[in-house]
Amino acid sequence: MTFVVPFGPQHPALKEPEYFRFEVKGEEIIDLNVRLGYIHRGIERALQERSYLHNIYLAERICGICNVAHTTAYCQTIEQLANIEVPDRARFIRTILCELERIHSHLLWAGVAAHEIGFNTLFMFFWRDRELVLDLKEMISGNRQISASNTLGGVRRDVKPEYVPTMLRVLNKLEKETKYYIDVCTSDRTILARCMGVGVLTKEDAIKLCIVGPTTRASGVDVDIRRDDPYAAYDEISFKVIIEREGDVLAKVIVRLREILESIRIIRQALKALPRGPLRTKVAPKIEPNEALGRIEAPRGELLYYAISNGTDKPERIRVRPPTYANIPSFKPMFVGGTIAEIPIVMASIDPCFACTDRVTLVDSHTGKARVVSFDELRGRRK
Amino acid sequence: MDSKEVADLIKAHVGDVRIVSERRLFATSDKQRFRDLLPALKVAGVTHLSTITGVDRGNAVEVIYHFDCQPAILNLKISLSKDDLKIFTITDIFPGAVLYERDLMEMLGVKVEGHPDPQRLFLPDDWPEGAHPLRKEFERESK
Repeated sequence: MTFVVPFGPQHPALKEPEYFRFEVKGEEIIDLNVRLGYIHRGIERALQERSYLHNIYLAERICGICNVAHTTAYCQTIEQLANIEVPDRARFIRTILCELERIHSHLLWAGVAAHEIGFNTLFMFFWRDRELVLDLKEMISGNRQISASNTLGGVRRDVKPEYVPTMLRVLNKLEKETKYYIDVCTSDRTILARCMGVGVLTKEDAIKLCIVGPTTRASGVDVDIRRDDPYAAYDEISFKVIIEREGDVLAKVIVRLREILESIRIIRQALKALPRGPLRTKVAPKIEPNEALGRIEAPRGELLYYAISNGTDKPERIRVRPPTYANIPSFKPMFVGGTIAEIPIVMASIDPCFACTDRVTLVDSHTGKARVVSFDELRGRRK
Repeated sequence: MDSKEVADLIKAHVGDVRIVSERRLFATSDKQRFRDLLPALKVAGVTHLSTITGVDRGNAVEVIYHFDCQPAILNLKISLSKDDLKIFTITDIFPGAVLYERDLMEMLGVKVEGHPDPQRLFLPDDWPEGAHPLRKEFERESK
């Protein structure tokens, strides 16, 4: 006889609301059903109704953690749409910001994962070091989290020469700490017991289900948009694509920690090669009818933007496909056959970002009747 | 495959091909020819479907499949008239399309025939039937 274990929409192990229905037989999970949509904000439709410039700020708010990834992808798609060349200095600054974000996102994730397996000391270590990256982001952009640095045609804030020594010093410290964490995660008995051989995603499944990012690289699939479809300044920088073969939770931890070391190398190279010149070019508010597709390697994987323009200052359509949305199908092969106790850490292992996934339509429903919240209501205005 | 190689591979199955750059190309096809194109892509080693986009074009809905041909991205468009909004599923060949097709069904009202699990994905259970938020005619009631 099977039994249903509901997981969410509100659950201590979920950082954002989403509903998972696990069918279990004793301790073993035999099926899983996912229900998305609990944090829909209707962003794809909203993007159609705002100007290109206004949309930068909306795209930035799709996800709090990977806001630079979203604005970089958005801006480069619109730049392709309008045939604009971005100045070299801006391309390098975008690269630096993207990699700082990757480091902070991976450390944030590692902390959450440590917390999920009950290793709270390590959680605090990770988040202590994440503060160092947030301080660097604040120094460059003025904000710890939502950086508002990218704009159409370039960037708004410069990486000034006086920032460089501080950045290099902090990166050295982070490199030392990350190496120590890799040692800890590959040798600590608690971590090995909870992560090794758990939540395995095979290479065949990862390819078949079109999984992206560190989740697929931990299963031995050699893809990275930074190398395969270079954007910003990645074609002028050398770095390794990190791959692990095992596909279990431990492999996903190691891939992300080793990616931090690569990100540190990328930032050092970008700081060294940072060209002189202007930060941005001018962009006309209206864009002739055209279509363009831009994609980047966000911390969680391939982030895709597709835009169609119609000659006005508003886009005809913008499609956003964030990485967690692509990774949702990987839950089933990872969970089925496992036990209930594995649910929190396996769920955390794809680094899910539900705010990214749920953003497609205009939804707010009250019991029985569907109703849509107006923009004025959202902003708290009274008519 | 770069854009040129992809264009050579698909030219028998598509109407027109527009190569934008080495890594971007756009092509238009129709339902019948698209069915034959899918196995050809698979045989050529294309395994990754990045996503499916639906666009309301007034009296037609355009369905765009974004295939990652490493490094080129093939954007394959199929236009469906609003009188006959049906397309067959591609999940038998590209199983990763399962969520994108559900998204397409509820957001634009395109019926995907043969889908293994045609439930709602994002919209709430009490969302009215026939209201598709990304259609042009879907207006905000509060306006």
